[in-house]
Amino acid sequence: MTFPASPELVQEATEQDRPRHRGYARYALGKAGGALGSLGFLLVLNFFLFRVLPGDPARTLGRGRFSTQEQLDDFNQAYGLDEPLAQQFLTYLGNTLTGDLGISLRYRVPVSELILDRIGPTLLLVGTSTLLAALIGIWLGTRSAWRRGGVFDRVSTGTSLTLYSMPEWWLGLMLIATLAVGLGPLPGLFPTGGLHSVDADPWSVGGVLDTIRHLTLPVTTLTLAYLADYALVMRSSLLDEMGSDYLTTARAKGLRDAAVRNRHAVPNALLPTTTVIALNFGFVVTGAITVETVFSIPGLGLLATEALEIPDYWVLQGTFLVAAAAVILANLLANLAYGLLDPRVRT
Amino acid sequence: MLAAGVLLALAAVPGAPMACPTPAAADEGDPTRFTVALLNEVDSFNPFLGIEVESYEMWALTYDYLTSLAVDDLSVEPALATEWESSEDGLTWTFTIRDDVEWSDGEPLTADDLSFTYNRVLEGGPWGATWKSWLAGVAEVSAPDATTLVMDLERPNSVLPMVPIPIVPEHVWSDVSTDDIKSYAAEPSDGQPVVGSGPFRLVEGTAGGSTYRFEANPDYWKGAPHVDEVAFRVFKSEDPAVQALVKGEVDYVEGISALQVRSLEGREGILAQNAGTTGFDEISFNAGSIDVETGEPIGDPNPAVLDPAFRYALSFAVDRERIAETVYQGAGAPGSTIVPPAVGRFHWEPPAEEVAYDPERAAELLDEAGYTVGDDGMRTLPDGSPIGTLRLFARSDSATSTDVMTYFQEWLADLGIDAEVSTVESTRLTDIILEGEFDAFEWGWYVDADPTSMLSYMTCDQLGAWSDSWYCNEEYDRLFEQQGSELDEDARVEQIHRMQEILVRDAPYIVTVYNTEGQAVRSDRFACLQSQPSPDGAWLFQQGTHSYLSMRPADQAGDCDGLTSATGGDDPAGGSDGVGTGFVVGAAVVGGLLVVGAAVFLLRRRATSGDRE
Repeated sequence: MTFPASPELVQEATEQDRPRHRGYARYALGKAGGALGSLGFLLVLNFFLFRVLPGDPARTLGRGRFSTQEQLDDFNQAYGLDEPLAQQFLTYLGNTLTGDLGISLRYRVPVSELILDRIGPTLLLVGTSTLLAALIGIWLGTRSAWRRGGVFDRVSTGTSLTLYSMPEWWLGLMLIATLAVGLGPLPGLFPTGGLHSVDADPWSVGGVLDTIRHLTLPVTTLTLAYLADYALVMRSSLLDEMGSDYLTTARAKGLRDAAVRNRHAVPNALLPTTTVIALNFGFVVTGAITVETVFSIPGLGLLATEALEIPDYWVLQGTFLVAAAAVILANLLANLAYGLLDPRVRT
Repeated sequence: MLAAGVLLALAAVPGAPMACPTPAAADEGDPTRFTVALLNEVDSFNPFLGIEVESYEMWALTYDYLTSLAVDDLSVEPALATEWESSEDGLTWTFTIRDDVEWSDGEPLTADDLSFTYNRVLEGGPWGATWKSWLAGVAEVSAPDATTLVMDLERPNSVLPMVPIPIVPEHVWSDVSTDDIKSYAAEPSDGQPVVGSGPFRLVEGTAGGSTYRFEANPDYWKGAPHVDEVAFRVFKSEDPAVQALVKGEVDYVEGISALQVRSLEGREGILAQNAGTTGFDEISFNAGSIDVETGEPIGDPNPAVLDPAFRYALSFAVDRERIAETVYQGAGAPGSTIVPPAVGRFHWEPPAEEVAYDPERAAELLDEAGYTVGDDGMRTLPDGSPIGTLRLFARSDSATSTDVMTYFQEWLADLGIDAEVSTVESTRLTDIILEGEFDAFEWGWYVDADPTSMLSYMTCDQLGAWSDSWYCNEEYDRLFEQQGSELDEDARVEQIHRMQEILVRDAPYIVTVYNTEGQAVRSDRFACLQSQPSPDGAWLFQQGTHSYLSMRPADQAGDCDGLTSATGGDDPAGGSDGVGTGFVVGAAVVGGLLVVGAAVFLLRRRATSGDRE
């Protein structure tokens, strides 16, 4: 599905080209500066936010394994936890700026490696689901609004609201119990969990198909859960547009109903949906903890939640940094896109 | 809609044939793989760093040990050391090391590898983090020749010859510096398995990953395993893991709840059990929190819980059987002391009346100790002032903790003692305990095959370190020192029994239950797993690799080479509905989806053509 920009907008833009460009550059720079400022603030907050957590990593990890005070001290010394907080902060700043995110206290491997290992599954799972949910949701919302109150509207709005209110883990477990384990004559079509089979080579054709098979149920779960977000926003913003004069004009010009909808109404109604999509894509890297848990997908959401129990400071800092930076970036992109789509926001 | 249908079709078609359980070793060419579902990741394949019990299992498959523990009663038996002797004063131990063991890269394993490993641990710092306490008193380890290992001690160590430290190859690990060891992964690289001498070789897997694959070592000195591969899959929640077992994606699940065990019991082709473990849960009191530097009291324990007589009286108010049955749903046996029966002869079983539920005796003992009932029906301190409200803490990350403390609160109320329960995270509770800001909390421990560490947590030395009850008793400490260097085993057992007796009387802990671990195996596919200790012990996650060496496909089980207490071979899977059916039904479903997709598409076309008119 493509949504060509409304001809009015395009025409306007070409008419007063030069001043617009300068205005946009200033707008874009302002937004980029703001994003950079947030990032700097984040860098500082990141360190202190997790230090106020209760608990002591050496004691959580060493419970039942270390048996003397000496072993506790050795651990704290080896991982720099015995240094004064100010010193630790400086080390953190220096390391982060050079791209070193520290060593995980639980897994004892560099945090950047852990995040790289985990970001793939998360992007695949949440990214695919967000994309599918957005596409299907926009389509549902458009159709519902265009025939408001019709059978399609009632069924689709009702269904997406029901799915929205269902706990994701429950939906996932139901899918596992039916489609993964098999029910009656229906055999188990999909695996119960994981990202790939034990000995699958992820880079071969068979491996890719294997991963698709593993991801089908979790992606279905998340897509169904996310659907309402997009369908409802799209529906209500299209309803807002439907009484507009320009649509009456378009109809008076003799355009077919589908053309009025797709070329005139939808592009204008897409603005709020664009915001929702951009923001949600920013949150993709935070993962989907419940679905990752139910389907045992080794993603970033689980990594961060489990790090809280220790607390594994460097993993928490690393995942938080990546997640927050993604949100800031997505926001910036949404702002920049907005500036292009709707010149009014530049002032 | 159509796109979704096609995606489903793409995903399902190649999957359908694989989705059905295939009997183990159905095809001649396929390796026999035993797949275990874990509920937690391996935290490190490096034996000097890892801490999780899953990691211990991986090292046991990869490496060997000086000695191992027998499958039936956990007594020490030969492994890399074939025999050993200690000098009269216990200060010199001499071990004879096997000469027929090879590393997986072909190098011979010699006494030098053992002395290298132990000396690194003795070096301390990150090398000694997990293991140093096992070599208490050892000053130096040397290897005069390839088959002789000598340990020189400063003071006798009664735990020897038990040393559960995995032996790593010197020719690989000598290059790892003290700085590098902190994050040294010890994982397969460039397609090369990790160099080890154990019955299996790690060919795939990373710390924190979700699958680990081991291949059998055909030249293992105890004899080759009867399966070609062992694989582990991490599930992050219990239900899907059990579903995977039922479906046949995995052959074994570990750490499931008692309810799941019950649901699996009696299912054809599956054996399930609640295996005894060396873990226990307890209600711990604040027996006297102090500042370790100054010796001054810290925190705000209620004066009542500082009194051993008060705590001892309350131990009769706890109905351990009720807790085991209703809170643990049968996944636990009523507890008594901090050395569980699964640890063997070190366990002391108190006389039945000492650990009975007897609220009347509790009331009598409280009266005797001066905690009498006041006018308002509530008990008072011996000086007549009110006891006030006891603060009980439970852990939010435990399924049973809050329930146990709520019961305890009710039982206290029956005695005329007011209490309130707060549920907090374990990390927060750790801080509360160290600050002494509590009267009682609920937690538990796992005890090693040798109880030394557990016993040490109750000594005065551990105040501010691992002690969580702040208990300190000179007589107990003296016995702890004695048993640590006692060379006469019977005398040592006697001392350890006496220590447990003291703890029951002083009651810093009320041991509520001994834990069990839910396990289930596809007995239609694999047989000959052994229990340790027999007969009710664990099938896997043992001390040693007994079951991994004895297990075999069910259709080749025979009499399991005469092993007693091994899971028998049921009828080899007759229930599998075969590859064909699965494929046909899968194809039917895909076909159905395509038809529905096409119908929706056509309807849409009609609808839009309607619009056009």
